[in-house]
Amino acid sequence: MKFSRKVLGIPYAVFLLLFVVAPLLVLFYYAFTNGDGQFTISNLTGFFTDPNALGTLCYSFALSFVTTLLCLFLAYPTAYFLATSKIKAKSVVIMIFVMPMWINFSLRITALKEILDAIEGNLSAYPFLNSVLGMTYDFLPFMILPIYNVIVKLPVSLTEAARDLGATPWRAFVHVTLPMSVPGIVSGVSMVFLPAMTNYVVLDMLYNSTYIMGSLIGSYFSNDNWNGGSMIALILLLIICLFTLFSNTLEADDSSVRGGALL
Amino acid sequence: MKKHSMKAFAALLSVLLLPNIAPATSMVRADNEVVLRVCNWEEYIDEGDWDEEEDLIDLESGDIIGENSMVEDFEEWYYETTGTKVRVEYSTFGTNEDLYNMLTLGDVYDLVCPSEYMIMKLMAEDKLQPLSDEFFDESNEYNYYINGVSPYIRNIFETHEINGEKWSRYAAGYMWGVTGFVYNPDVVSREEASTWHLMDNEDFAHQVTVKDNVRDTYFAAVGAVKSDLLLSESFRNDPNYAMNLQDEMNDTSPEMIQEIQDYLQSTKNNLYSFETDSGKADMITGKVVANLQWSGDAVYTLDQADEDDFYLEFAVPNEVTNVYFDGWAMLKCGVEGNPERQKAAEAFINFVSRPDNAIRNMYYIGYTSVISASEDGRIFEYLDWNYGAEEDEENTVDYSVAMFFASEDDDPEDYVLTVPEEQLRRQLAAQYPSEDVLHRASIMVYFNEEVSRSTNQMWINIRCYNIKNVPIWGWALAFFVIAFLISYAIRKKKESR
Repeated sequence: MKFSRKVLGIPYAVFLLLFVVAPLLVLFYYAFTNGDGQFTISNLTGFFTDPNALGTLCYSFALSFVTTLLCLFLAYPTAYFLATSKIKAKSVVIMIFVMPMWINFSLRITALKEILDAIEGNLSAYPFLNSVLGMTYDFLPFMILPIYNVIVKLPVSLTEAARDLGATPWRAFVHVTLPMSVPGIVSGVSMVFLPAMTNYVVLDMLYNSTYIMGSLIGSYFSNDNWNGGSMIALILLLIICLFTLFSNTLEADDSSVRGGALL
Repeated sequence: MKKHSMKAFAALLSVLLLPNIAPATSMVRADNEVVLRVCNWEEYIDEGDWDEEEDLIDLESGDIIGENSMVEDFEEWYYETTGTKVRVEYSTFGTNEDLYNMLTLGDVYDLVCPSEYMIMKLMAEDKLQPLSDEFFDESNEYNYYINGVSPYIRNIFETHEINGEKWSRYAAGYMWGVTGFVYNPDVVSREEASTWHLMDNEDFAHQVTVKDNVRDTYFAAVGAVKSDLLLSESFRNDPNYAMNLQDEMNDTSPEMIQEIQDYLQSTKNNLYSFETDSGKADMITGKVVANLQWSGDAVYTLDQADEDDFYLEFAVPNEVTNVYFDGWAMLKCGVEGNPERQKAAEAFINFVSRPDNAIRNMYYIGYTSVISASEDGRIFEYLDWNYGAEEDEENTVDYSVAMFFASEDDDPEDYVLTVPEEQLRRQLAAQYPSEDVLHRASIMVYFNEEVSRSTNQMWINIRCYNIKNVPIWGWALAFFVIAFLISYAIRKKKESR
């Protein structure tokens, strides 16, 4: 066979086929069949008529939403000042934010557990707050980096022009920097919001005994209900698709500022 | 029981390194090599490598120490006694349900060690291969299981049936125990810890953990809900007490499930958490003051706490306790039609039942072996070595373990230990429950499909946030957020045009 650049894509194509496409097909098959392998949509209707499943969806949304807000609140100023400051060793500072990502998150959460325990006295009294803090701790770098990457690439001349035309620093920020950093925010939000909906290990480790989507799927699987669990996974996948589509519309057409993706 | 960090690390490593799925192609390697696929609980067998100074069990009848892992020792022993080479592919599972799922997904094992209810389920589904007649031949000295199993356990395995067949035909016991509370006596009094109502005791709000598994917590909740009945004189003195108790504890009528759901829903907020494995550590570090525990893990927890000079105790609730077993059973999918492999599987059961090996496993994992080996005497000797009072010790009591050890023609007086008084509330009482405790012990049978479904649903109801509980402001907030995002997106679209 003649070597072409297409050949280089084969390893990943194989990987994709084996570990993404094939499992997805299995997921589809399970989601639309019952225990005996017959076609059914009862899993689908079951989900939307089950107050627990819907409630879990709401709870997951709420948890993700608060986590994302907190991440944004912490990450944006950090990224902004980092990107606009004149310190020389920026890469070192960025490194400090990235470093936690090199350590497995369950180890980090174990450490966080001890810290929270020392502060709160009794962890189990604030399950929702703890989960939010745990997720924030886990996902914060994913929010900082995209925002930083966008802001650092913004031409300084734009803010300078705004200032020259008489805008106060605050006004220049609100009308120039902030709108132009939206792609970074969108990218960061999708990197935090979606994983937070299923990251149930954090909840388990921090003793929040309420299920989120991830643990609900897990509980279906461990009760040998592969069909119901697959359907929930599929619905979650659908939500992720919708969310991605939506965030793409927000990001689109902003050809001037690209590179919102992580690193 | 005195697991050191190195050992724990080695155990962890071996768990990580062991293959989880036995490849089907490796079934026959050499011509006469038998491959035996064993699947057991994680950290549930002696993995060897003991510290000669600290871990040596120096009984008068000889020293016992785990140099190699039990599995390696078995391979060697089997070759020496039968001349056949056997290679054990040892893998582990985390919960009974995991094992069951692995089996339904097509994994093949020859010998597995699930809990009694899972054995019943597998039996009912006709997935188990009966043990051979040779296995029960008491005249064969290598049949360590049948010659050594405790009369108490043997009786239970003989008298319980599934679809008209006795458990003992399909399963051989491995470890057993009861459930109860590990508690910190500085905070919780023994009286308070001796009832299932500890879970809803508001004095210990957010300080008690229970198991994150529907069966154990269901049992505990039934114990609490039916507390008055179970403690009443008339119920206790009924001639059919044992049978009535078992019926009450296995009550899975829809009304009962509803009642348990209501109870657990209100109790949930009084608990620290539903834990899968963190309970032991949280008990030792003092995060919680009481912890629903299986007796074997209770022994382990108390031992670990002792190393930190932290004094904990164990109590079995007065209402009732759940007596549980983990047992070896052969799977049809593995051994059927392969007598060589079945022979090796049965030999494996016998090997781990050999008194010295039972002691090694007990020492290593903290659970209680079903082997009493009263003729051999070493298990009782180990018990005395482990718990017996020093000669000059004051404040000692006599503790009878005859119910477990003594067969009909033994003198129960022979099985009385002189132990420090505190052992009535500590490791000994957990590892070898007193006769009182065993009298109020009930088995929990397996739930059939329908009951499983309703109890699982109950569990989900307890754990999930119900959409009916979303407050108005929650809906309002959600509405505003969505409206904001959509309007933003529309504006953005317009601008870009």
